Amino acid sequence: MILVIAEQRDGKLNRATWETIVGAQQLAKVSGAPITVLVPGAHAAGVGAELAAAQVAEVLTVEHAALEPYTPDGFTAVLQAVMGQLSPTQVLLPHTYQTRDFAPKLAARLDRALVTDVTAIKTVGSDTAFVRPMFQGKLTADVVPQGPGPHFITFQIGAYRVDQVTKGTGAATVRALDVAVDAATIRQKPDAPFQQARQAVDLSQAERIVSVGRGIKEQTNIALAQQLAEALGAEIAASRPICDAGWLPMERQVGSSGQTVAPKLYLALGISGAIQHLVGMKGANTVVAINKDPDAPIFEIADYGIVGDLFEIVPAMIAALKQ
Amino acid sequence: MTVLVFWLFFVAFVSAFAAQVARRVQLIATAPYTFSFDDLGFRVNRFLVDVVFQARTIRERPFAGIAHAFVFWGFVAFGGYTLTEFLLGLGIVDLTHTAWFAAYRVVLTPFAVAVLGGILFLLIRRAFVRPVGLGTKVSIESIVIALFIATLMITYLLTFRLEEGTMAERVNWWIHMLVILAFLALIPASKHFHLVLSPITVFLKSPELGNLPNLDFEKEQVGLETVKDLGSKSVLDAFTCVECGRCQVNCPAWGAGKELNPKTIILQTQEALLAGVHDRKLGEVYSEKVLWQCTTCGACENQCPVGIEHLPVLIGSRRGLVSNGDAPDYLGAMYNNLERRSNIWGLGYDQRTKFVQSAALETFDPAKHDVLVWLGCAGSFDADFQKSLRSLFAILRAKDVRFGVLSKERCNGDPAKRTGNEYMFQELANGNIEDLKAAGAKKILTSCPHCVKTIGNDYRKFGYEVEVVHTSVYVEALTRSAESSAKASAGREPRETVTFHDPCYLGRYAGKVDEPRNLLTRFGADIVEPERNRDNPYCCGAGGGLLFADKEEEPGSRISDVRFKQLQATGANTVVTACPFCSIMLKGAQASAQADTQFVDLMTYVNGKLQPRV
Repeated sequence: MILVIAEQRDGKLNRATWETIVGAQQLAKVSGAPITVLVPGAHAAGVGAELAAAQVAEVLTVEHAALEPYTPDGFTAVLQAVMGQLSPTQVLLPHTYQTRDFAPKLAARLDRALVTDVTAIKTVGSDTAFVRPMFQGKLTADVVPQGPGPHFITFQIGAYRVDQVTKGTGAATVRALDVAVDAATIRQKPDAPFQQARQAVDLSQAERIVSVGRGIKEQTNIALAQQLAEALGAEIAASRPICDAGWLPMERQVGSSGQTVAPKLYLALGISGAIQHLVGMKGANTVVAINKDPDAPIFEIADYGIVGDLFEIVPAMIAALKQ
Repeated sequence: MTVLVFWLFFVAFVSAFAAQVARRVQLIATAPYTFSFDDLGFRVNRFLVDVVFQARTIRERPFAGIAHAFVFWGFVAFGGYTLTEFLLGLGIVDLTHTAWFAAYRVVLTPFAVAVLGGILFLLIRRAFVRPVGLGTKVSIESIVIALFIATLMITYLLTFRLEEGTMAERVNWWIHMLVILAFLALIPASKHFHLVLSPITVFLKSPELGNLPNLDFEKEQVGLETVKDLGSKSVLDAFTCVECGRCQVNCPAWGAGKELNPKTIILQTQEALLAGVHDRKLGEVYSEKVLWQCTTCGACENQCPVGIEHLPVLIGSRRGLVSNGDAPDYLGAMYNNLERRSNIWGLGYDQRTKFVQSAALETFDPAKHDVLVWLGCAGSFDADFQKSLRSLFAILRAKDVRFGVLSKERCNGDPAKRTGNEYMFQELANGNIEDLKAAGAKKILTSCPHCVKTIGNDYRKFGYEVEVVHTSVYVEALTRSAESSAKASAGREPRETVTFHDPCYLGRYAGKVDEPRNLLTRFGADIVEPERNRDNPYCCGAGGGLLFADKEEEPGSRISDVRFKQLQATGANTVVTACPFCSIMLKGAQASAQADTQFVDLMTYVNGKLQPRV
């Protein structure tokens, strides 16, 4: 059995769990093993019902006092008990901060192999190998876990795409699991969770960004970029001169002295592409640049470049998007 | 009886002087030893130029400087006279009735007039003109000292008028002698201690601007953390400071309205030392925030007339902070980039390889190539600066220079060194030195002045000696032949007015100020000089890791904005730069100012003129 351990907080699913289910479905293709999804923690039932849409054999929920609030001792104790009941061959987890916190402890407790930060599954001869980066991503290694199961595998966020998940024909059964754990073995006493004050605008999470540079010429033209951003469902951002001029607030500045962003789409309007700006958006998946200067450095890193007048191109794009 | 009274005064004042001096000497002697005497020839020469001929004092402020030189030369000239009068007063020997003394007095007369004129000029300047560098408050003590000096000269000149043995003559003599003694007692606790210390300090100042010896990690050196870590040269500097404020008015951070004032740093050192707070953290003595405002442009240290070295204190304190994990967040991100990707941008090395391939560069081979071109972080990754490098390659190829590049490069370590991350600097430096040695490089050519300084000077401290030449110097020599000048002028193109921004690490650190100008004028440019040029340029604001600093955290304006305005004020529409980081900063300032000013890198400019026009 392949066991996927879902991650949720207060009934809100961490979407990386879906990616892990895609990984599990890939693995199941090779081994033919059934997939079980385990949702630990309070409010697990709702999340379980949500995940039951995937093509999996069963969804289990486990709610226990030892799981709330989160502690590595509590999770390890509960999951150790779950492993005893289910005896999975592989346990798959999203490589989140929480997983990084308890998974090594759980694997060590059970004396089982753990492969972290996996980006792909590969067949090497008769073995299934897990691909993971090494030395800060300079090399990748194919790791075949050794020893008796279960083997613990954590998947890098983004290793699989959520939209690749195979949905089931009907909802899988959701069943609550009971475990006996002594909550007194928990040594950690966590404080209330806190979040560092974030900037009012957090561009780092934006999926699409329309970014404006000096080529926009006038403050009044920002509205044009804003229309495009609305049509695309994108956040608006800018390079330094625009924020210096006060045309957009400083918190929307992208670059080495502003925010670092990694959207799926980065649309650069009239941005020349000074290196200080480029380092703030180098993580973007697809860069589309519009600039009238064919020698602008932005074209060095753009996936799609349009040499031309943004005041002609942008209205045409807005019109096309509205169709 | 008179002799006895004079002895009493003498002993009292000289003891007061000696006690104060002893305290300071002890502080210097107990500090970690950092004096060095290497390159004696250079030191002797600088002593002659800056002490004897007062060049550094006069250079920046000609009138005040010459007035000061008069006072200084007068003091020296009067040495024998003062000694003779003291020998008389103390009843040891009377030489005042010898023929040579009479002659000596005649010789001294013009000196006395010059000193009197000089000191009155300085007194008026200090009391009424009040230049900003001298501080906002008029120093009463300086006024007193100036009046003392004037009194000494007047009483001297009066000796020619007063009959020996008369009451007036005796009173005059006593005033003269007592003023000298009072002056002596006042010196050590005042800025006038520079009279005694500055010749020593100038001699002990490192021949290299911004000299920062490597930390020895085996000896668990972590940089300067508390007052007791300050080296003996820094302690000497603190007592030598004459508070003239040249460092202050030349500091780009201070000029842009930031809190850093190099003069304050030195005076805070002095105060902390005398207060005996040896365990006080330097981050508190100076304020951490202020320490991170320095661009390491070197203006303070280079303009100082009394031999003070500010950079070892500023960067040494940064080392102490970094060792304790107290660097600003933006540097953390940059260190991460250096650690993971060995470049300041955190970009993947495939991008450098792409550029190397697209520019058809060969891997350096000493059998095939004359020079190794060092690309640097900007050359490897900044598409904008790569245009300049492509121009350089075109020039080199046109002149049949055989050149190659390393197959891989790390950042030379300048941003790590200058921000006090010594460990990371040494990691990068050792790796590069290994690669450069393995490649067999004898002569390195680079367009980045920071690489020139770091590879040329800082790597020497690891025992690695190599010739590093900035491209402006190399290409200037390369295109010096009559043929190229003829070709350039044959074009009969109209001459173009440009202004040239000297990079700190080229103009000030390397002293290369004529080569870039020769190149520009040779290839059809008329240069209008901006305020602050040649070996005392105003920084672009990128140095010392500040390329990565947030504007939000800082008071005042951006240094780059201030410099851009100075360049704009020349009226030239084209600014020529010769450093990738100056170019980044100034273009940023230009974009923010929504100005039309054109920027062109020196190599691109030259190559544009060398190419036949179509």
